[in-house]
Amino acid sequence: MLVDEPGDAAHNMAVDTALLELATTPTLRIYGWQPHAVSLGYFQKIADFDDLPEDTVFVRRATGGGAIHHGDELTFSLALDAHHLPGDIAASYTLLHDAIVRALAKVGVPCHRVKSDKQPAARPSDRWCFKTPVAGDLVTDAGKLLGSAQRRARLTNDAGESRNRVLHHGSLVLTRPSHTPFVAAVADHVTPTGDLRRELHSALIAELAKVLALEARPDKRTRAEESMAAKVSNEQFGNPAHLHRR
Amino acid sequence: MRPDDLKFQKSHEWCKVEGDTATIGISDYAVSHLSDLVFLDLPDVGSTVTAGESFGEIESVKAVSNLYSPVTGEVIESNADLGDNLEWLSEEPFGKAWMVKVKISATAPDLMDGAAYDAHCKAEG
Repeated sequence: MLVDEPGDAAHNMAVDTALLELATTPTLRIYGWQPHAVSLGYFQKIADFDDLPEDTVFVRRATGGGAIHHGDELTFSLALDAHHLPGDIAASYTLLHDAIVRALAKVGVPCHRVKSDKQPAARPSDRWCFKTPVAGDLVTDAGKLLGSAQRRARLTNDAGESRNRVLHHGSLVLTRPSHTPFVAAVADHVTPTGDLRRELHSALIAELAKVLALEARPDKRTRAEESMAAKVSNEQFGNPAHLHRR
Repeated sequence: MRPDDLKFQKSHEWCKVEGDTATIGISDYAVSHLSDLVFLDLPDVGSTVTAGESFGEIESVKAVSNLYSPVTGEVIESNADLGDNLEWLSEEPFGKAWMVKVKISATAPDLMDGAAYDAHCKAEG
Protein backbone atom coordinates (compact mmCIF):
# COMPACT_ATOMS: atom_id res chain seq x y z
CA MET A 1 0.00 0.00 0.00
CA LEU A 2 1.45 3.31 -1.12
CA VAL A 3 0.05 6.75 -0.36
CA ASP A 4 1.74 9.34 -2.60
CA GLU A 5 1.68 13.11 -2.75
CA PRO A 6 -0.06 14.50 -5.85
CA GLY A 7 2.27 14.09 -8.85
CA ASP A 8 2.46 15.14 -12.47
CA ALA A 9 0.54 13.20 -15.09
CA ALA A 10 3.41 11.37 -16.80
CA HIS A 11 4.96 10.40 -13.47
CA ASN A 12 1.63 9.13 -12.14
CA MET A 13 1.05 6.86 -15.12
CA ALA A 14 4.67 5.70 -15.21
CA VAL A 15 4.62 4.66 -11.55
CA ASP A 16 1.51 2.59 -12.17
CA THR A 17 3.13 0.87 -15.15
CA ALA A 18 6.23 0.11 -13.07
CA LEU A 19 3.99 -1.41 -10.37
CA LEU A 20 2.10 -3.44 -12.99
CA GLU A 21 5.34 -4.85 -14.33
CA LEU A 22 7.50 -5.20 -11.23
CA ALA A 23 5.49 -5.29 -7.98
CA THR A 24 5.80 -8.69 -6.35
CA THR A 25 2.90 -8.19 -3.93
CA PRO A 26 -0.58 -6.80 -4.63
CA THR A 27 -0.13 -3.03 -4.48
CA LEU A 28 -2.74 -0.36 -3.84
CA ARG A 29 -1.47 3.14 -4.56
CA ILE A 30 -3.39 6.31 -3.67
CA TYR A 31 -2.39 9.56 -5.33
CA GLY A 32 -3.51 12.84 -6.89
CA TRP A 33 -2.67 15.14 -9.79
CA GLN A 34 -0.56 18.28 -9.63
CA PRO A 35 -0.95 20.03 -11.97
CA HIS A 36 -4.48 18.92 -12.79
CA ALA A 37 -4.58 17.00 -16.07
CA VAL A 38 -6.75 15.23 -18.63
CA SER A 39 -5.97 11.55 -19.14
CA LEU A 40 -7.10 9.90 -22.36
CA GLY A 41 -8.15 6.28 -22.56
CA TYR A 42 -5.52 4.18 -24.32
CA PHE A 43 -7.32 4.11 -27.69
CA GLN A 44 -8.71 7.65 -27.76
CA LYS A 45 -7.76 10.27 -30.34
CA ILE A 46 -6.04 13.42 -29.10
CA ALA A 47 -7.71 15.34 -31.96
CA ASP A 48 -11.06 14.83 -30.24
CA PHE A 49 -9.90 17.19 -27.48
CA ASP A 50 -8.81 20.14 -29.63
CA ASP A 51 -11.44 22.35 -28.01
CA LEU A 52 -9.83 22.27 -24.57
CA PRO A 53 -7.64 25.23 -23.48
CA GLU A 54 -4.11 25.27 -24.92
CA ASP A 55 -2.48 24.91 -21.53
CA THR A 56 -4.35 21.68 -20.72
CA VAL A 57 -1.97 18.95 -19.55
CA PHE A 58 -2.70 15.66 -21.32
CA VAL A 59 -1.48 12.12 -20.81
CA ARG A 60 -2.45 8.87 -22.53
CA ARG A 61 -3.27 6.16 -19.97
CA ALA A 62 -2.31 2.50 -20.32
CA THR A 63 -5.86 1.61 -19.36
CA GLY A 64 -8.99 1.74 -21.49
CA GLY A 65 -12.19 3.77 -21.35
CA GLY A 66 -12.88 7.47 -21.86
CA ALA A 67 -11.04 10.64 -20.87
CA ILE A 68 -11.00 11.98 -17.32
CA HIS A 69 -10.33 15.52 -16.10
CA HIS A 70 -8.30 14.84 -12.96
CA GLY A 71 -8.86 17.75 -10.62
CA ASP A 72 -9.51 17.41 -6.90
CA GLU A 73 -9.98 13.67 -6.73
CA LEU A 74 -8.82 10.58 -4.93
CA THR A 75 -7.06 8.46 -7.55
CA PHE A 76 -6.02 4.93 -6.86
CA SER A 77 -4.32 2.15 -8.76
CA LEU A 78 -4.30 -1.51 -7.93
CA ALA A 79 -1.53 -3.63 -9.47
CA LEU A 80 -1.81 -7.33 -8.79
CA ASP A 81 -1.73 -10.84 -10.20
CA ALA A 82 -4.94 -11.63 -12.06
CA HIS A 83 -5.83 -14.56 -9.80
CA HIS A 84 -6.71 -12.11 -7.02
CA LEU A 85 -9.66 -10.91 -9.12
CA PRO A 86 -12.47 -12.70 -10.97
CA GLY A 87 -11.32 -13.66 -14.48
CA ASP A 88 -14.45 -12.11 -15.93
CA ILE A 89 -13.69 -8.40 -16.31
CA ALA A 90 -17.21 -7.23 -15.50
CA ALA A 91 -17.18 -9.38 -12.34
CA SER A 92 -13.87 -7.83 -11.28
CA TYR A 93 -15.41 -4.36 -11.53
CA THR A 94 -18.39 -5.49 -9.47
CA LEU A 95 -16.15 -6.81 -6.69
CA LEU A 96 -14.08 -3.62 -6.47
CA HIS A 97 -16.99 -1.22 -6.92
CA ASP A 98 -19.02 -2.83 -4.16
CA ALA A 99 -16.04 -2.36 -1.83
CA ILE A 100 -15.89 1.31 -2.79
CA VAL A 101 -19.62 1.75 -2.19
CA ARG A 102 -19.06 0.51 1.38
CA ALA A 103 -16.02 2.78 1.85
CA LEU A 104 -18.00 5.82 0.69
CA ALA A 105 -20.92 4.93 2.95
CA LYS A 106 -18.53 5.02 5.92
CA VAL A 107 -17.81 8.71 5.23
CA GLY A 108 -21.43 9.65 4.54
CA VAL A 109 -21.54 9.46 0.73
CA PRO A 110 -24.40 7.32 -0.56
CA CYS A 111 -23.90 5.85 -4.02
CA HIS A 112 -24.81 2.69 -5.86
CA ARG A 113 -23.72 0.50 -8.72
CA VAL A 114 -25.73 0.82 -11.95
CA LYS A 115 -27.56 -2.41 -12.55
CA SER A 116 -28.76 -2.67 -16.09
CA ASP A 117 -29.75 -5.32 -18.54
CA LYS A 118 -29.28 -2.81 -21.30
CA GLN A 119 -26.64 -3.83 -23.83
CA PRO A 120 -23.73 -1.39 -23.72
CA ALA A 121 -23.14 0.51 -26.95
CA ALA A 122 -20.70 -1.17 -29.34
CA ARG A 123 -18.39 1.78 -28.82
CA PRO A 124 -18.24 4.34 -25.99
CA SER A 125 -20.84 6.98 -26.74
CA ASP A 126 -18.93 9.94 -25.34
CA ARG A 127 -15.30 11.02 -25.15
CA TRP A 128 -15.59 11.62 -21.39
CA CYS A 129 -15.54 8.61 -19.07
CA PHE A 130 -18.01 10.25 -16.67
CA LYS A 131 -20.59 11.42 -19.20
CA THR A 132 -22.65 8.28 -19.76
CA PRO A 133 -22.75 5.76 -16.90
CA VAL A 134 -22.94 2.13 -18.03
CA ALA A 135 -23.80 -1.04 -16.13
CA GLY A 136 -21.47 -1.49 -13.17
CA ASP A 137 -20.54 2.20 -12.78
CA LEU A 138 -20.87 3.93 -9.40
CA VAL A 139 -23.37 6.79 -9.44
CA THR A 140 -25.27 9.15 -7.16
CA ASP A 141 -28.41 11.11 -8.02
CA ALA A 142 -26.09 13.77 -9.51
CA GLY A 143 -24.28 11.48 -11.96
CA LYS A 144 -21.25 9.23 -12.15
CA LEU A 145 -18.91 9.42 -9.15
CA LEU A 146 -16.12 6.99 -9.97
CA GLY A 147 -14.19 6.37 -13.18
CA SER A 148 -12.60 2.93 -13.55
CA ALA A 149 -10.42 1.28 -16.17
CA GLN A 150 -8.06 -1.67 -16.49
CA ARG A 151 -5.05 -2.96 -18.38
CA ARG A 152 -4.46 -6.72 -18.43
CA ALA A 153 -1.16 -8.25 -19.48
CA ARG A 154 0.76 -11.49 -19.30
CA LEU A 155 4.30 -10.65 -18.27
CA THR A 156 7.32 -12.94 -18.46
CA ASN A 157 10.44 -12.34 -16.38
CA ASP A 158 14.06 -13.08 -17.30
CA ALA A 159 13.72 -16.57 -15.78
CA GLY A 160 10.87 -17.33 -18.21
CA GLU A 161 8.17 -17.29 -15.51
CA SER A 162 4.86 -15.76 -16.61
CA ARG A 163 2.30 -13.88 -14.55
CA ASN A 164 -1.12 -12.63 -15.61
CA ARG A 165 -1.28 -9.10 -14.28
CA VAL A 166 -3.98 -6.48 -13.85
CA LEU A 167 -3.67 -2.72 -13.43
CA HIS A 168 -6.95 -1.23 -12.21
CA HIS A 169 -7.38 2.55 -12.16
CA GLY A 170 -10.01 4.33 -10.08
CA SER A 171 -10.78 8.08 -10.06
CA LEU A 172 -13.09 9.20 -7.28
CA VAL A 173 -14.27 12.80 -7.72
CA LEU A 174 -13.96 14.92 -4.58
CA THR A 175 -14.78 18.32 -6.10
CA ARG A 176 -16.38 18.73 -9.56
CA PRO A 177 -13.69 19.59 -12.20
CA SER A 178 -14.20 22.40 -14.73
CA HIS A 179 -14.10 20.41 -18.00
CA THR A 180 -16.59 17.79 -16.79
CA PRO A 181 -19.28 19.65 -14.79
CA PHE A 182 -21.72 16.76 -15.32
CA VAL A 183 -19.97 14.47 -12.82
CA ALA A 184 -21.09 13.66 -9.29
CA ALA A 185 -18.73 14.56 -6.44
CA VAL A 186 -18.07 13.61 -2.84
CA ALA A 187 -18.44 17.34 -2.09
CA ASP A 188 -22.15 17.07 -2.98
CA HIS A 189 -22.58 15.21 0.33
CA VAL A 190 -19.67 16.06 2.64
CA THR A 191 -16.99 18.74 2.62
CA PRO A 192 -13.70 17.16 1.55
CA THR A 193 -11.60 18.45 4.45
CA GLY A 194 -8.21 17.00 5.30
CA ASP A 195 -9.80 14.79 7.94
CA LEU A 196 -12.43 13.55 5.51
CA ARG A 197 -9.77 12.68 2.95
CA ARG A 198 -7.82 10.70 5.53
CA GLU A 199 -10.99 8.88 6.61
CA LEU A 200 -11.75 8.10 2.99
CA HIS A 201 -8.21 6.76 2.42
CA SER A 202 -8.56 4.47 5.43
CA ALA A 203 -12.02 3.28 4.45
CA LEU A 204 -10.96 2.60 0.87
CA ILE A 205 -7.87 0.68 1.94
CA ALA A 206 -9.82 -1.38 4.48
CA GLU A 207 -12.67 -2.29 2.13
CA LEU A 208 -10.44 -3.15 -0.84
CA ALA A 209 -8.19 -5.27 1.37
CA LYS A 210 -11.25 -7.07 2.71
CA VAL A 211 -12.67 -8.08 -0.68
CA LEU A 212 -9.24 -9.13 -1.90
CA ALA A 213 -8.64 -11.13 1.31
CA LEU A 214 -5.36 -9.27 1.85
CA GLU A 215 -3.82 -7.51 4.81
CA ALA A 216 -2.99 -3.85 4.11
CA ARG A 217 0.37 -2.54 5.23
CA PRO A 218 2.33 0.60 4.29
CA ASP A 219 5.11 0.03 1.80
CA LYS A 220 7.66 1.89 -0.29
CA ARG A 221 8.51 1.53 -3.92
CA THR A 222 11.64 -0.49 -4.65
CA ARG A 223 14.64 1.05 -6.34
CA ALA A 224 13.84 -0.98 -9.48
CA GLU A 225 10.27 0.35 -9.52
CA GLU A 226 11.51 3.94 -9.11
CA SER A 227 14.05 3.46 -11.86
CA MET A 228 11.52 1.97 -14.27
CA ALA A 229 8.99 4.70 -13.46
CA ALA A 230 11.54 7.40 -14.33
CA LYS A 231 12.39 5.67 -17.61
CA VAL A 232 8.77 5.05 -18.62
CA SER A 233 7.80 8.61 -17.69
CA ASN A 234 10.50 9.97 -19.94
CA GLU A 235 10.16 7.58 -22.88
CA GLN A 236 6.42 6.89 -22.91
CA PHE A 237 3.94 8.91 -20.88
CA GLY A 238 5.89 12.17 -21.05
CA ASN A 239 6.72 11.66 -24.72
CA PRO A 240 4.54 13.73 -27.11
CA ALA A 241 4.79 10.93 -29.70
CA HIS A 242 2.96 8.58 -27.33
CA LEU A 243 0.22 11.12 -26.66
CA HIS A 244 -0.22 11.82 -30.39
CA ARG A 245 -0.02 8.21 -31.54
CA ARG A 246 -3.77 8.35 -32.18
CA MET B 1 -17.61 -25.50 -33.13
CA ARG B 2 -13.89 -25.56 -32.41
CA PRO B 3 -11.68 -27.20 -35.03
CA ASP B 4 -9.46 -30.04 -33.74
CA ASP B 5 -6.27 -28.87 -35.41
CA LEU B 6 -5.67 -25.73 -33.34
CA LYS B 7 -2.88 -25.05 -30.86
CA PHE B 8 -3.35 -22.71 -27.92
CA GLN B 9 -1.35 -20.46 -25.63
CA LYS B 10 -2.00 -19.99 -21.92
CA SER B 11 -2.87 -16.38 -22.73
CA HIS B 12 -5.80 -17.71 -24.84
CA GLU B 13 -4.63 -17.11 -28.39
CA TRP B 14 -5.08 -19.94 -30.88
CA CYS B 15 -3.11 -20.70 -34.00
CA LYS B 16 -3.70 -22.94 -36.96
CA VAL B 17 -0.56 -23.96 -38.84
CA GLU B 18 -0.82 -24.78 -42.54
CA GLY B 19 2.54 -25.22 -44.24
CA ASP B 20 4.67 -22.26 -43.20
CA THR B 21 1.67 -20.05 -42.36
CA ALA B 22 -0.01 -19.62 -38.97
CA THR B 23 -3.49 -18.13 -38.67
CA ILE B 24 -3.94 -16.53 -35.23
CA GLY B 25 -6.97 -15.49 -33.19
CA ILE B 26 -8.32 -15.61 -29.63
CA SER B 27 -10.44 -18.36 -28.09
CA ASP B 28 -14.12 -18.36 -27.19
CA TYR B 29 -13.04 -18.56 -23.52
CA ALA B 30 -11.08 -15.31 -23.89
CA VAL B 31 -13.94 -13.58 -25.67
CA SER B 32 -16.44 -14.55 -22.96
CA HIS B 33 -14.16 -13.18 -20.22
CA LEU B 34 -13.46 -9.90 -21.99
CA SER B 35 -17.16 -8.89 -22.04
CA ASP B 36 -18.20 -6.29 -24.59
CA LEU B 37 -15.47 -5.54 -27.11
CA VAL B 38 -15.01 -2.00 -28.37
CA PHE B 39 -11.63 -1.66 -30.08
CA LEU B 40 -8.99 -3.83 -31.72
CA ASP B 41 -5.49 -2.89 -32.79
CA LEU B 42 -3.67 -5.35 -35.08
CA PRO B 43 -0.19 -5.15 -36.64
CA ASP B 44 0.35 -4.00 -40.22
CA VAL B 45 1.12 -6.43 -43.00
CA GLY B 46 4.89 -6.67 -43.36
CA SER B 47 5.60 -6.15 -39.66
CA THR B 48 7.29 -8.81 -37.55
CA VAL B 49 5.75 -10.56 -34.56
CA THR B 50 7.62 -12.55 -31.93
CA ALA B 51 6.45 -15.68 -30.12
CA GLY B 52 5.34 -14.84 -26.58
CA GLU B 53 5.33 -11.09 -27.20
CA SER B 54 2.42 -8.73 -27.78
CA PHE B 55 1.23 -8.43 -31.38
CA GLY B 56 -1.85 -6.34 -30.74
CA GLU B 57 -4.31 -5.01 -28.19
CA ILE B 58 -8.02 -5.36 -27.63
CA GLU B 59 -10.31 -3.15 -25.56
CA SER B 60 -13.45 -4.40 -23.93
CA VAL B 61 -15.54 -2.01 -21.84
CA LYS B 62 -12.78 -0.06 -20.05
CA ALA B 63 -10.11 -2.80 -20.10
CA VAL B 64 -7.20 -3.02 -22.52
CA SER B 65 -5.66 -6.48 -22.91
CA ASN B 66 -2.54 -7.45 -24.83
CA LEU B 67 -2.65 -10.16 -27.49
CA TYR B 68 0.38 -12.48 -27.53
CA SER B 69 1.74 -14.17 -30.62
CA PRO B 70 2.15 -17.97 -30.63
CA VAL B 71 4.74 -17.71 -33.42
CA THR B 72 7.59 -15.58 -34.67
CA GLY B 73 7.47 -14.35 -38.24
CA GLU B 74 6.23 -11.79 -40.73
CA VAL B 75 2.59 -10.69 -40.85
CA ILE B 76 1.35 -11.51 -44.36
CA GLU B 77 -2.33 -10.76 -43.80
CA SER B 78 -4.35 -8.84 -41.21
CA ASN B 79 -8.12 -9.16 -40.83
CA ALA B 80 -8.90 -5.54 -41.66
CA ASP B 81 -12.67 -6.03 -41.42
CA LEU B 82 -12.61 -7.43 -37.90
CA GLY B 83 -12.15 -4.08 -36.14
CA ASP B 84 -15.49 -2.85 -37.48
CA ASN B 85 -17.20 -6.17 -36.82
CA LEU B 86 -16.11 -7.16 -33.34
CA GLU B 87 -19.28 -9.21 -32.88
CA TRP B 88 -17.58 -11.79 -35.13
CA LEU B 89 -15.38 -12.65 -32.14
CA SER B 90 -18.44 -13.88 -30.27
CA GLU B 91 -20.04 -15.47 -33.32
CA GLU B 92 -17.06 -17.27 -34.88
CA PRO B 93 -13.90 -16.86 -32.80
CA PHE B 94 -12.21 -19.72 -34.68
CA GLY B 95 -13.53 -18.72 -38.10
CA LYS B 96 -14.12 -15.29 -39.58
CA ALA B 97 -12.73 -13.60 -36.44
CA TRP B 98 -9.16 -14.67 -37.23
CA MET B 99 -6.78 -11.78 -36.60
CA VAL B 100 -3.51 -12.19 -38.50
CA LYS B 101 -1.72 -14.66 -40.76
CA VAL B 102 2.00 -15.00 -40.16
CA LYS B 103 4.76 -16.58 -42.22
CA ILE B 104 6.38 -18.68 -39.51
CA SER B 105 10.07 -18.58 -38.70
CA ALA B 106 9.70 -20.05 -35.17
CA THR B 107 6.92 -21.33 -32.90
CA ALA B 108 6.47 -20.85 -29.15
CA PRO B 109 7.66 -24.02 -27.36
CA ASP B 110 4.73 -24.36 -24.98
CA LEU B 111 1.68 -24.45 -27.25
CA MET B 112 -1.13 -26.75 -26.07
CA ASP B 113 -3.56 -28.97 -27.90
CA GLY B 114 -7.30 -28.52 -27.32
CA ALA B 115 -7.54 -30.94 -24.40
CA ALA B 116 -4.61 -29.39 -22.53
CA TYR B 117 -6.04 -25.93 -23.21
CA ASP B 118 -9.44 -26.91 -21.83
CA ALA B 119 -7.73 -28.16 -18.64
CA HIS B 120 -5.85 -24.85 -18.41
CA CYS B 121 -9.09 -22.86 -18.74
CA LYS B 122 -10.75 -25.02 -16.08
CA ALA B 123 -7.83 -24.40 -13.71
CA GLU B 124 -8.00 -20.67 -14.36
CA GLY B 125 -11.68 -20.63 -13.43
